Amino acid sequence: MPEPHTPIDDVITVQRGPEPGGLGGAYRAFGATLRGLRTTLGRVAEKPPTYQYPEEKTPVYPRFRGRHKLQRFEDTGLEKCVGCSLCVAACPAECIRVVAAENTPDNQVSAGERYAAVYEINMTRCIFCGYCEVACPFDAITMGNDYEMADYHRSDLIFTKEMLLADAIEKTPLRREGE
Amino acid sequence: MTDGGLDTPGESQSGARRTDGPAALLPPYREREESISLGTLDEQPVSGTEVDIDGGPDRETELMTINLGPHHPATHGVLRLLCTLEGEVVRDIKPLIGYVHTGIEKSCEDQEYWKAITFVERMDYLAYYFNAQVYCMSVETLLEEEVPPRAQYLRVIHMELNRIASHLFWLGTAALDIGAITMLWWALRERDLMLDLFEMSSGQRLHTRYFQVGGVFEDIPPGWEAKCRRALEVMPARLDQYEALLDENEIWLQRMKNTGIVAREELLALGVTGPLLRATGEPWDLRKAMPYSSYGDFQFRIPVGTVGDNYDRYRVRLAEIRESLKIVEQALDGLPEGPFITSNRKVALPPRHELATSMEALIHHFKLVTEGFRVPPGEAYSAIESPRGELGCYVLADGSAKPSRVHMRDPSFVNLQSLKAMGENSLIADFIACIAMLDPILGGIDR
Repeated sequence: MPEPHTPIDDVITVQRGPEPGGLGGAYRAFGATLRGLRTTLGRVAEKPPTYQYPEEKTPVYPRFRGRHKLQRFEDTGLEKCVGCSLCVAACPAECIRVVAAENTPDNQVSAGERYAAVYEINMTRCIFCGYCEVACPFDAITMGNDYEMADYHRSDLIFTKEMLLADAIEKTPLRREGE
Repeated sequence: MTDGGLDTPGESQSGARRTDGPAALLPPYREREESISLGTLDEQPVSGTEVDIDGGPDRETELMTINLGPHHPATHGVLRLLCTLEGEVVRDIKPLIGYVHTGIEKSCEDQEYWKAITFVERMDYLAYYFNAQVYCMSVETLLEEEVPPRAQYLRVIHMELNRIASHLFWLGTAALDIGAITMLWWALRERDLMLDLFEMSSGQRLHTRYFQVGGVFEDIPPGWEAKCRRALEVMPARLDQYEALLDENEIWLQRMKNTGIVAREELLALGVTGPLLRATGEPWDLRKAMPYSSYGDFQFRIPVGTVGDNYDRYRVRLAEIRESLKIVEQALDGLPEGPFITSNRKVALPPRHELATSMEALIHHFKLVTEGFRVPPGEAYSAIESPRGELGCYVLADGSAKPSRVHMRDPSFVNLQSLKAMGENSLIADFIACIAMLDPILGGIDR
């Protein structure tokens, strides 16, 4: 345990400002108010920092962790997921359910020996920490850019494998370079 | 008092138990709740009040007990305050907490060490980087793991940006309680600059899980430093604008000056830390007193107040934002090259590209993801300076991959004790200002 530090030179005492009331108060009721008005009116020329959502979607950064997506190999169209359940082990919210099944020559779904017959993510539980993406050794599950996932029924928020393999209906824009 | 017709048999049984059991074992909040009876409130005057000739309570001197919250915009969360009022004057305050109890500390015992980071971040939801830092510090102490210098600097940068964001949120909501609505828009606008930086570096605006045991999750992306410097350039001018609006505003002065004064000795006796304590002139800042995560490398000052009223609390926090800007700038200037997380493969995940080439890396990856890392038995407490004061974390390890106990010493919880000293015998409007200046985060209080 280090010695307690006595920061004598490092201390800065904040200013107390004027005492309220009195003649100064009467002056400030006008003077300081006008100063405040000048400050706010000076901002009129500034561009508004808001987005006109939902007409204009808020763009996200490349690392943004949104709605999950299950990936396929581009050339063969086979699923990357081999049903190893590492994402299930890594999930702190316990929102992923995977049931693996064997690939057969007639029914080759994934590139490995096994594939995920059931792959469900309960979006009402998901905290979007991205540990599933980190855990996956095959880059089969990734976090996409989409953040619009609200729905009317909780049962609709349990995303099935088909929903996760499909693209989102509306794409979320990415931030431009330097924005 | 309890014959108001609202009693159930269960409650009278507990009343009977009270006579034979020691009084200290009974939960005090239950007594407080039983001391109010809604059924008799209108007929019987509360003891200690005078009754006028008509038999009704004297409205001038009647003591009235009211609930402020749990759903009240001025309580900054779900804080329930049982206030005894005499007219407009607050005579007694009893904070009742537990409305956002999440059981995070208990849940952590069921998670591997690296997964518990996502849980502890959600306690004090405006200071998530601090929660993760203090938890990681405790685990790193148990593991005797060194954090690389670059990771320490990146942690400092993110924590100080988080402190600015937290203080800005406080400024906006506190000024809103006083009626200065422009401050809310402005403060949230600047807070967005910080959140954009968090999203860019870690992928999430809140609860980023960026800090990991042994370092940070990934390096900052290209362009992050330039964007951070742009935000740092903007901030001083914006702070000047806040001060132009508030510092000498007559309403702000009347509401802030000489209200909610608590003596330094009393705050120290209550265990209060952070800007509340520094506003009384006590320069207690853990970043200086016990430097952690290479805070010793940076030049900054500790803003202190003189009187310890609400105005000093406001000025101290605003001055702290300026000091934080200085720290971030120095950390960006001196950001060392090197790894951003420890190279110990037993603790930190191997780099992604090694998974395809190295069998050993793949085995480590599988072991860490499925089982986590084991921490040798022992206990550790670390403390850091969060935006609200001393944030401590106690971790008890039993040799397995899950913590046996995680406990947080949350500054909001301790600071809440000083609310009675601040608001007692003041006008109810000043009391609202005191809650705002206390800056309680209920997620941290209830955990």
